[in-house]
Amino acid sequence: MNSESQFCHEQGLSFLQTKDLSKVYQVGGFDVHALRSVNFIAKQGDFTVINGPSGSGKTTFLNMISAIDRPSTGEVLIEGVSTSSLNEKQLAKLRRDRIGLIFQTFNLIPVLTAAENTEYPLLLQRLSKSERTERVASILEEVGLGELAKRRPNELSGGQRQRIAIARALITQPKMVLADEPTANLDSETGGQVMNLMRRLNEEHCVVFIVVTHDPAVTEYAKRQVRIHDGSLQEAVAV
Amino acid sequence: MSFWIPLRSLLRNRRRTLLSVAIIALGTAISLFVFGFLEDSRLQIQASTVAEYGNLQIGSPDLWNDTADGYDYLIQPTQLAEIDTLLNAHERILGTTSQLQFPGLLASGNETQVVRVTALVPENETLAVREASIVEGRPLQTGDVAEILIGRSLAERLGLTTGSVVTLTLTTVNGAFNATPLRVAGIYKFSSEQVELRSIYMPQPFAQLLLQTQGIDRIVVSLDSIASTETAATALQSGLDAAGIPLEVRTWYELSPIYEQLAGYFDILFGFLTLAVFILVFFIILQVLTLAFLERTREIGTIRALGTTRGQVFSQLLIESAWLAVIGGAAGVLVGILMGVGFNAIGLEWRPPGTVEESVLSVQLGLMIVTPPFLVALISTFLSAIFPAIQTSRLRVVDALRVN
Repeated sequence: MNSESQFCHEQGLSFLQTKDLSKVYQVGGFDVHALRSVNFIAKQGDFTVINGPSGSGKTTFLNMISAIDRPSTGEVLIEGVSTSSLNEKQLAKLRRDRIGLIFQTFNLIPVLTAAENTEYPLLLQRLSKSERTERVASILEEVGLGELAKRRPNELSGGQRQRIAIARALITQPKMVLADEPTANLDSETGGQVMNLMRRLNEEHCVVFIVVTHDPAVTEYAKRQVRIHDGSLQEAVAV
Repeated sequence: MSFWIPLRSLLRNRRRTLLSVAIIALGTAISLFVFGFLEDSRLQIQASTVAEYGNLQIGSPDLWNDTADGYDYLIQPTQLAEIDTLLNAHERILGTTSQLQFPGLLASGNETQVVRVTALVPENETLAVREASIVEGRPLQTGDVAEILIGRSLAERLGLTTGSVVTLTLTTVNGAFNATPLRVAGIYKFSSEQVELRSIYMPQPFAQLLLQTQGIDRIVVSLDSIASTETAATALQSGLDAAGIPLEVRTWYELSPIYEQLAGYFDILFGFLTLAVFILVFFIILQVLTLAFLERTREIGTIRALGTTRGQVFSQLLIESAWLAVIGGAAGVLVGILMGVGFNAIGLEWRPPGTVEESVLSVQLGLMIVTPPFLVALISTFLSAIFPAIQTSRLRVVDALRVN
């Protein structure tokens, strides 16, 4: 499970770094510190599992590093570029080209088939039809759903939907994939299959995987574990 | 970005989409039907006006401006040859005839009626004889002398039939009174009661004899189509000016101010209807789309998180509304055409105010009729989507993803 990739030539290069990252929400006139001066580095080939109880700041941290939310103070550096210096359009481009996202509730577009959901990020990249078709077929085979390409999300099981979400996250060949509670809506067996798949893809594609979870079973798949509590990164354990 | 994804998004809630399409279609169909009906009415009035006045008339500015001293405005035979050459050179002219109009008092027994006498050349006449169909007796013929055509309403009022003899009193070009007995050769009908009451027709040579002149007061020009009116008027006026002939060309709509008023009234009616349909469609579709976009907040958050820009989300939502507009507008056009065809097939008749004839109510159905209501549907639906699309596309990604 913890074997190192034989194909990840860029392993060890820093892709993501946070510096004194803080997020403060105003709730009922009070300041709620969701993140407190978090310093974190993710390198190529990492498979990091961030765990912690509900309300500990896991999702807030994921939102910051996925560039869908802005920090109150501190900064997120992706390939050395601070997300705070980017405008909305540049952030969208960053997410489109460099980051893959996997959601707890899969978040597939219900009117699109499995193949079309997978293809969607490539439409944003304006790739040619032939290249899109080729890539979709390849990634669906890779996640084991080549035969279900034409099914709509409501015709798929939870595990199959999450595989489609993983395929969608990887289709643009991102440098980093962020997963928020990817097994929360799956039974333990399916959850294990999904985690195995993510781990295999991490090995094969040399992609940074950061998985946020409160499920202790998921930590078994980590190369590196980080615990977050009350908005602070409390420990970083090399597994 | 794809054009098909917005269409599929639109079809996910079929009941709501069907309702939206029905609202747009209904507005478009009603608008098309009313516009087609008004246009048909306008064309009927147009045809009737052209039948009465011809497409163009050529006469003295004093005649048109009512500034003549007596009969100074008459066109003398010496000018006619030059004008004929000019008219013969114009290819769109179907026919021309000279006319001489003057007021008179028609008496039969104790009854009198002020009339407008139109003295015409029967063999050249393409106007009154064409439109005003003879219901009793015969049309005027070459060689007729003291014979007239009168309208059906005038015949009823004065109790006249063919062969009746009436007396016409008039003023000659020299200001002297003149009176003559005339025999009714025929009775015509016309769409306008006023025309039937006030217009009588007689042979031109006899009228010139009565007025003691060789002149005429106008040349009536018939064209191959109403659409040629403007071009022909400009060309003829240029020719007259170039030849130094001090006459002016008037179009049929300038000669009949009531047509312009009616056309303006129809435009206002259609304008109000269009505005009402526009507002109705705009606000209903605004509500529907606001709700539809709101329901998809999480989905919008997802595609934004995947890297879709605000502009792309905005354009996707607008494409969705464009689909709605095109489908609703097309359905409305189809329903409107079917309504029109059905209405025309029934062939309902009515008698418009001031007329003596029943007219068949009908609806015009052409590209020019279909296009404005379709565009109104398109624009109102499209505009109604702009505000909710802006609101939705500007949602913060992290907030949109939290919505269940």
